Amino acid sequence: MAEASQLFKEFKIQSVSEFFRRNAAMLGYTGKIRSLTTVVHEAVTNSLDACEEAGIPPYIRVEIEELGREHYKVIVEDNGPGIPEKYITHVFGKMLAGTKAHRNIQSRGQQGIGISGAVMFAQITSGKATRVITSTGGDKTIEAWVKIDVDKNEGKIVKKEKHPNPKGWRGTRIELEVKNVKYIRSKQGVYWYLKLTAIANPHAHIELIEPDGKLIVFPRSSDYIPEPPVEMKPHPRGVLTDDVYRMAKKTRRNTVKRFLVGEFSRISDKKIDELIEYIAALRLIKTEEDKNVQEQLYERLMKGEVKAVLRSFRGYTKVVKQVAKIMEKPPEKLTWHEAEEIVEAFKYMKFLAPPTHGLRPIGEENIEKGLRGILKPEFVTAVTRPPKVYSGGIPFQVEVGLAYGGEIPAGFELLRYANRVPLLFDAGSCVTTLAARSIDWKRYKVDDLDRAPVVLMINVISVHVPYTGTGKQSIANVEEIQNEIRLAIMDAARKLQTYLSGKHRKLYQVKRKKTFEKYVPEIARALSVLTGEEEDAIRSYFLTFIESRFATKEGELNEVSENA
Amino acid sequence: MPKSKVVKREKPRERFSYDPTRVLTKLEEYGRRVLEDIKTGKNPYFDIPMRGLNNVYFDEKRRVIRMGDKLSRRYFLNVAHARKFMQTLLIMAYVKRLVSEGKHASLREAYYANKHTIPGTKENTFEDQRESDPIIEDLERMLGVLREEMHLTADRRGYIYGDIVIRDGEDEFNTSKLGMGGWAVPGTVEHLQFVEVNVDYALVVETAAMADRLIEEKFPKKENALIIATQGQASRGVRRLIHRLHYEEGLPIIVFTDGDPYGWYIYSTIKQGSINLAYLSDKLATPEAKFVGMTMDDIKRYGLENVTEKLKGIPPNKKGGPTGDYKRILEEMEYPWFQNREWQRQLKMAVKMGVRIEQQALANKSLEFVAKKYLPEKINNGELLP
Repeated sequence: MAEASQLFKEFKIQSVSEFFRRNAAMLGYTGKIRSLTTVVHEAVTNSLDACEEAGIPPYIRVEIEELGREHYKVIVEDNGPGIPEKYITHVFGKMLAGTKAHRNIQSRGQQGIGISGAVMFAQITSGKATRVITSTGGDKTIEAWVKIDVDKNEGKIVKKEKHPNPKGWRGTRIELEVKNVKYIRSKQGVYWYLKLTAIANPHAHIELIEPDGKLIVFPRSSDYIPEPPVEMKPHPRGVLTDDVYRMAKKTRRNTVKRFLVGEFSRISDKKIDELIEYIAALRLIKTEEDKNVQEQLYERLMKGEVKAVLRSFRGYTKVVKQVAKIMEKPPEKLTWHEAEEIVEAFKYMKFLAPPTHGLRPIGEENIEKGLRGILKPEFVTAVTRPPKVYSGGIPFQVEVGLAYGGEIPAGFELLRYANRVPLLFDAGSCVTTLAARSIDWKRYKVDDLDRAPVVLMINVISVHVPYTGTGKQSIANVEEIQNEIRLAIMDAARKLQTYLSGKHRKLYQVKRKKTFEKYVPEIARALSVLTGEEEDAIRSYFLTFIESRFATKEGELNEVSENA
Repeated sequence: MPKSKVVKREKPRERFSYDPTRVLTKLEEYGRRVLEDIKTGKNPYFDIPMRGLNNVYFDEKRRVIRMGDKLSRRYFLNVAHARKFMQTLLIMAYVKRLVSEGKHASLREAYYANKHTIPGTKENTFEDQRESDPIIEDLERMLGVLREEMHLTADRRGYIYGDIVIRDGEDEFNTSKLGMGGWAVPGTVEHLQFVEVNVDYALVVETAAMADRLIEEKFPKKENALIIATQGQASRGVRRLIHRLHYEEGLPIIVFTDGDPYGWYIYSTIKQGSINLAYLSDKLATPEAKFVGMTMDDIKRYGLENVTEKLKGIPPNKKGGPTGDYKRILEEMEYPWFQNREWQRQLKMAVKMGVRIEQQALANKSLEFVAKKYLPEKINNGELLP
């Protein structure tokens, strides 16, 4: 039998970077096409976020250069605020670092490993450092070659140069050299990804230069720069024991009570008193031996009869006092068990719905602009639903856009987004696909969805989008979310239906009018024979008559549809 | 040696009244009205008496089928009407030209003359004669004038033979001097004038074969009768001719058909008019016509049991019945003009016996039998059905 010390000889502490180096798939680096898309995605996302935070209308240029077989250079340049010199290594070199990972905030990326992951991917496939050229608009630009020290999880600048910046250029340009990737114009490729990004971000101007030198421009169609998302305190119904426990360790508040009131939404001093009673009641119920009685007490507690439940135990005031003490101690002293008790009590208590000011929908107007600008349809509509909550406390919001006809080719196309980020993979298992397919499109005058020129975009926004896997390309089938998506689609489809029936009616009217007009020459000739009047005169009598009748008829129709 | 005759010529009740200007005036009047409507911003229309069973009734007093007063309004500005509105006007203009130029056209010619592609479309003014014929019928009803008065004629069918003199345009002739075939009745008989009528009555015969037989046996001469062969259902020309001979010349009309539902129906049409042409009954029907045969009684009376034929279809007392001939006989029993003892008896007997008897069955006796015995006997004894 081997000695423990023997076994542990091989035991090593793995750095975060090392872990992700070995598990690149978790960051989206699987497959040759997808890996390239992921690199572009991380860079473009950073650019968009940076521009929005600085209030700058984004101008992003992506260039893919083919250097050899499965060997490319990816260049992404933006007009963002630029990166101050000392932060360059942080931005590009350190995993799990950044401005967002630890906050409860809606964001494009989520853990802050995006661009550093791309830098690492470049490094491990081509061995090359990532070239970064940036300026904050001052008199200098900085050119730096960044690598990641995998063992230390640190960024390292291998070479750095400073250049004058006479024209006051501001922005960031990064160049990554990657291998084992492939550029193809497929539905999972860079082109499609940028097109979808442009639709969801009509305020951005995005350009792509493909390996063959072809320039593709997705022009800006909206002047509105979305406000950056704001942080939201977590809602008590949406947290796990671990969240409460870890937040308590980190907080600067001096009592548990102040911590709970200060760092959660919808918790007031009064709610703390209630919380004490609920925790006490739960403790007491657990002492009850008769299972049936216990069940009943849980049910009553669920109904909010906390005071009555407490009174059914002798000496309950003692327990309440014990619990109250927890609230007064310093939060770092909070035990796992106590955190557990708090979270359990949260489940029985009633809270106001979580605030939703942190959600940043694209907005109906901008979705319409995005779809119209990129797809050039003949009809477009969008619906942004009011925020809702799933799993009791996680706010989310659904919006859909629907484009029809024009330059859209026949065949249904579903564009999926989570927090504005296009989802390109795993469409089949996505709740958006399920919802879109569950609609009876025939009811909305779309007789054959798979042959209709219809593009449906769906954006699910949340501080916590429930993805089905680490790939983050598919949203889980949460009932509340599916319902919201369905309602949004049906709402948009109704507008499409109105448009389509109006169009049919108009066509019908034109056809009707033509029916009458084509007979006029025949009638005029016959009437001229019968009455001896001029054929031309008779013809114009008839045409004038038809014209006047149709003018009033259309007026009537409009009135009807307005009243309806 | 003159026999005492039951059937005698009567006094005329109508006068020859063909007047082409009446048609022209009506056409112009309707055209003018459409024009006035359109000038004042009104949707022009034609009111056309409705066709079909729903709009006919039996006039008990005059004993003819008549058209009711239900109208269908055909608008110009109505998707369902516009085409027919246009077609109506086209035919009206065509009729005006025909009548004022004194020319006649057949229904088929009228169809071809007015058929052309509408400029700027792939549509024809008329796609089929089945479109133009009904428009012409509509016009008859709308204007209250005969198709023949509009100089539109149907295919001719039927002929006459007998001692009468007819003036047709510039020609004048005696219809018993045209050989064994007699004189073919034209589509339009409006303009004919009867110069001389030297017969006592007209015998309307269903089949040409029987008419030929009678002529060969010199029946018209011996009985002083006019033979009118309908050759099946009587054409409009023949029906109008019968009507005119009866009312303008006072000739009694006696009808001789097969003893079967079709024969009786032919009689019914001559006598009371038809549902289709109910609006023309005043000009086509001859309610005073009488029926000589064949009747069911004839079978027994003349011993014709061996030459009957079975009725087609299932009798009413059998499962699935009545169908075919049986069904038609039962329908005819419901006709108002057959609501009399004699006819009800004949029809019931037919159903009961399940047989029919043709005119030619009389040849079973001898070729001369019909001309020498059957007809003279029945007619001169007044053994006729009402």
